[in-house]
Amino acid sequence: MRFDNGEMTQEELANRAGCTRQTIIALEQGKYVPSIELAFRIAEVFGVSLEEVFQYKESS
Amino acid sequence: MAPLQKRALYSLIIGVVCAVALIGIFIAKGGVTTFDEDLGFRLVVYALWIGVPLAYLIVVNLTLRKPGQVDERDRLIMERAPRIQFLAVLFSLAAWVIVLTEVFSDQGQVPVIYLTLIMISTLIIGTIVSLSVS
Repeated sequence: MRFDNGEMTQEELANRAGCTRQTIIALEQGKYVPSIELAFRIAEVFGVSLEEVFQYKESS
Repeated sequence: MAPLQKRALYSLIIGVVCAVALIGIFIAKGGVTTFDEDLGFRLVVYALWIGVPLAYLIVVNLTLRKPGQVDERDRLIMERAPRIQFLAVLFSLAAWVIVLTEVFSDQGQVPVIYLTLIMISTLIIGTIVSLSVS
């Protein structure tokens, strides 16, 4: 999704969403589940709805 | 480097410096026997015990003092670390109690130097666990 938004870097996304680059890395690797607030902020940065960025997958 | 990583690195440096200083002091002063006899030697070691936690507090404050440096994931990590640290320290103390009781139960007393060894091991375990969680 970052690449569909002007090749946005992890650092830039982190700054705009108000979190650290490490959190963005963990999110992209699926190692961290963000709070609702952070999820909304990230969706807002991309200008899309929450569901377009985050999808729920039931863990087995 | 992220603030949390900086804090972990500085903690590691403080731990290593403290360990090296302790070993160096013990070697330079003549070891455990001198520790028992020399008050000056003991005061230096006591100063280290108080100085290390103080240095750690200062480092934590300096690296994490700016607002917005720590996000929700960092806070989760920082909240989880003391819980795991507490358990690790508790188990290490239990191990010390069991071993010292079994070894020295016949004599009815434990040599004073073991207090220092317990303190060193607790610091090392606390630092290692904190770093591995961060």
